[in-house]
Amino acid sequence: MLPVRKSQKKFFGLLLLFVAITTPWILGILYVTNTDNNGKDVSVKLVNYKKDTIPKVDHSKFEILQQKFDNPKQVTEACLSCHNLTHKDVMKTSHWKWTKPYVKDNGDTIQLGKKNILNNFCIGISSNEPRCTSCHIGYGWKDHGFDFSDSTGIDCLVCHDKTGTYKKFPTAAGYPVDKEKKFGKKTFYPPDYNYIAEHVGNPDRHNCGSCHFVGGGGNNVKHGDIANEMNKVTKEVDVHMGVDGANMDCVDCHKTEHHNIQGNLYSIASENTNRTTCEECHTEQPHENKILNSHTKKVACQTCHIPSYAKVSATKMYWDWSTAGKFNDDGSVMIKKDSLGNMIYHSFKGSFVWKNNVEPEYTWFNGTARHYLLGDKVDTTKALAFNTLNGSYGDSASKIFPVKVHRGRQIFDPVNDYMILPHLFGKDSTAYWKNFDWNKAAETGMKSVNLPYSGKYSFTSTEMSWPINHMVAPRNESLKCEDCHSRDSRLASLTDFYLPGRDHSKAVDYIGFALLVLAALGVTIHALLRMRK
Amino acid sequence: MKKRTYIYRGFERFWHWSQVLLIFFLALTGFQIHGTYKIFSFEHVVRWHNIASWAFLVLIVFAIFWHFATGEWKQYIPTTKFIKAQINYYITGIFRGAPHPTHKTIYNKFNPLQRIIYLGLKLLVIPVQVITGFIYMFYIYPDNPVNLHGLNVIAIIHTIGAFSLLAFVIAHVYLTTTGDSVLSSIKAMLTGWEVVDVDEKEERQKHLQHAVDDSAAGYYHIDKDGIFVDVNEAWLNMFKCKDKDKIIGKHYSLTRDKKDLKELDELVNKVLAGDTVTGVPAKRKCVDGSTGKHILSANPIIEDGKITGMEGFILDISETEALSEHMYNAVRDSGAGYYRLDKHGNIVDVNEAWLDLYKYDSKDEVIGKHYSITRRPVEVNKLEDTFNKAMNGETLSGKLAERRCKDGSTGKHILSANPVYVGQYVVGMEGFILDIADLEKEKEL
Repeated sequence: MLPVRKSQKKFFGLLLLFVAITTPWILGILYVTNTDNNGKDVSVKLVNYKKDTIPKVDHSKFEILQQKFDNPKQVTEACLSCHNLTHKDVMKTSHWKWTKPYVKDNGDTIQLGKKNILNNFCIGISSNEPRCTSCHIGYGWKDHGFDFSDSTGIDCLVCHDKTGTYKKFPTAAGYPVDKEKKFGKKTFYPPDYNYIAEHVGNPDRHNCGSCHFVGGGGNNVKHGDIANEMNKVTKEVDVHMGVDGANMDCVDCHKTEHHNIQGNLYSIASENTNRTTCEECHTEQPHENKILNSHTKKVACQTCHIPSYAKVSATKMYWDWSTAGKFNDDGSVMIKKDSLGNMIYHSFKGSFVWKNNVEPEYTWFNGTARHYLLGDKVDTTKALAFNTLNGSYGDSASKIFPVKVHRGRQIFDPVNDYMILPHLFGKDSTAYWKNFDWNKAAETGMKSVNLPYSGKYSFTSTEMSWPINHMVAPRNESLKCEDCHSRDSRLASLTDFYLPGRDHSKAVDYIGFALLVLAALGVTIHALLRMRK
Repeated sequence: MKKRTYIYRGFERFWHWSQVLLIFFLALTGFQIHGTYKIFSFEHVVRWHNIASWAFLVLIVFAIFWHFATGEWKQYIPTTKFIKAQINYYITGIFRGAPHPTHKTIYNKFNPLQRIIYLGLKLLVIPVQVITGFIYMFYIYPDNPVNLHGLNVIAIIHTIGAFSLLAFVIAHVYLTTTGDSVLSSIKAMLTGWEVVDVDEKEERQKHLQHAVDDSAAGYYHIDKDGIFVDVNEAWLNMFKCKDKDKIIGKHYSLTRDKKDLKELDELVNKVLAGDTVTGVPAKRKCVDGSTGKHILSANPIIEDGKITGMEGFILDISETEALSEHMYNAVRDSGAGYYRLDKHGNIVDVNEAWLDLYKYDSKDEVIGKHYSITRRPVEVNKLEDTFNKAMNGETLSGKLAERRCKDGSTGKHILSANPVYVGQYVVGMEGFILDIADLEKEKEL
């Protein structure tokens, strides 16, 4: 009898120990699995968001809009006859001025913007105005003589046309055509000003997109995250603009007061003011998971929620001007396209690389940017950054942002050591797109900005950073932790901080694992020696 | 001497095995966070690692409390004594089958190497892991709340700590196989019981110390000249003395009336000649002149083969308690049953009175049998408990018990039990039993 009782007692003792040890684990596992939010529907918390519900007037009832308009400036005059203070607001905006204040490294504040900045697409507008200013909200900016104080030069319709029939001609300094005219394969018709003026309203995505979707002279060339397809897009591509989703217009986020439209694009902007942010509606603590919420201090919403851009049409990633000027044997313009129809060579412009579904590059960014100014010296040992997004890990205002980096090779002056603004567009003999002579184009272009040209040119590498803000993916397509917290991290280039999962001390790991191996080896040898005995 | 000893208590085992699981779990999840491998989703792993770390913290708080509440922290006081011997044992001795240089007892569970390593874990590695872990958890970014310029240093220290713990685990698990058998140490950590190689003298001293400190029994120690070297609180209480100094250095004769002194003189002489006496009834003279009765045990103290003194316990048997009075008389009249068990629990000796109570005819019927034959199966565990206590040096008296007689009938008696020492060894248990059937009848009447 005794041995049985003894072993029973022993068994119950062990059982008790087992229960005591496992119970906290079971409770812990139950806790973890029951408080796991993955897969659950979470409603998106929103603050400050409402669609504009101001009742509109019926413009078709106004007699002044029924007059015969010979040119678009007369339409503007008609608009301003009622909206008789609005031009004052419009003419303060960067949409009109194409500049914003910029504080230079020496502390001086200058006016800087599309008007006088360089980029690595079509480089600069000076001497090329009629082509570039087809996207200006004005009429007639064809050279330096444009009068920025003439209110009749404002183009009201490009933003307020609700008919979809108003089109500015690509090379007419912001004017639409007055008679039927072709541009490439596309035909432009004179607008029906009465019809359009009687159907005006708040801008929708078509109005904004008529310029912003096609920046750089073609669909999705510049931004990568906004393109013509946004006019009718699914929420899979963009949760906000998806017509099957929130179906929001640009101005729902880019709030507008007195014609000042909120939002900065740091290819030209430089200051942390007037920005449109996700947090305005989503708050800085939008997640249920505390660890995710703590990330918002250092990681921009866009970083996780825009895993890729250019999700429908491809965007331009690389532009090499140095190969421009080659023609077919018969002297016709050489155009090469890839299998997807993206143009990869054009005699006028050189070679391109396009990409779809691009994984962004990432950078620290605190909302301020520096820019290359005309005449600044260039260090050709590395790619010239036309814009530099400021920020670092140690800067409390900085967050990690996704960016499209557009790289290129373009013309510069190796004697004066600065970038050249070439005269590309024009009917005169020095325009590059007429004569394909870089020397002449450089001379005219640089003369237009009052900078000497040495007579020698070369090509150098450049890059521009375009923060990615659109094409926000549905929740379940957001980045996962391990997209960054892993050895093949998306943030591999941000090396100024320790990122768990990505970083480790190679020495510590090496010594640590060696220690473990030696320990295992040591006890194995010890055990073998004992067994031999 | 090998002895089966209860060495790891319940909480200790719970703490140890929970810690084992937590360390493995934290290592498994931690090294994924580190980026060493990818098994689970990072989000889950971080969550699990955090929750496990909280659990570990709770366990540590309980363990700290336990170590101080039980005084077990003293086991970790480092010593350099034998440390070289211990290292030499692992490097060479173990291969020759040499004995362990140090002996495990419940008062000295760890060898000098263990003491240093475990103390290092408790005071260095684990605190460093906890502190860096919490900085890791709550220090999210610079300027929150202080600028540490990133996690770099913290994370690397945390990693070093993790490697140290894993290396410890490898060595620790391996060294568990160096016990009596490959699995005996692990079994001991599971059941709490381990057969340990006992250094008898040290063991007994510890036992006595323990008993002296904790028990209600009076302890005394006199040298070979009969002078008190030590007594405990219980002894002083029994002799109604508040000041220990009044006793230490005095001759034992002050504890007896003159007429009773001769009896004690004989006993002392006997013990100093090498005998062990147990269960001797005596009448004491207290410091205030009053008297009391107790039962006395005495054994010689042998140092370096020479008897240097005598020590033992006295158990008060108050005259106001009928049962004890009864027992006292019974013992004195030798009407009580006497038994003696060896260290395995087998009966070595019983007297006539014992045989009568158990209705046996001859000693031969019970000598060599296990004590379990004296109880009904459901009562055996009580006796087993008494036996274990006695074998651990405790003296018990006045325990009510129900015996099983030879013919299967039962009877009730009062039992006393105390360890039997030969020299310094606990070699068995002995005691008296006193039938209380008459007493019960008296009560009924």
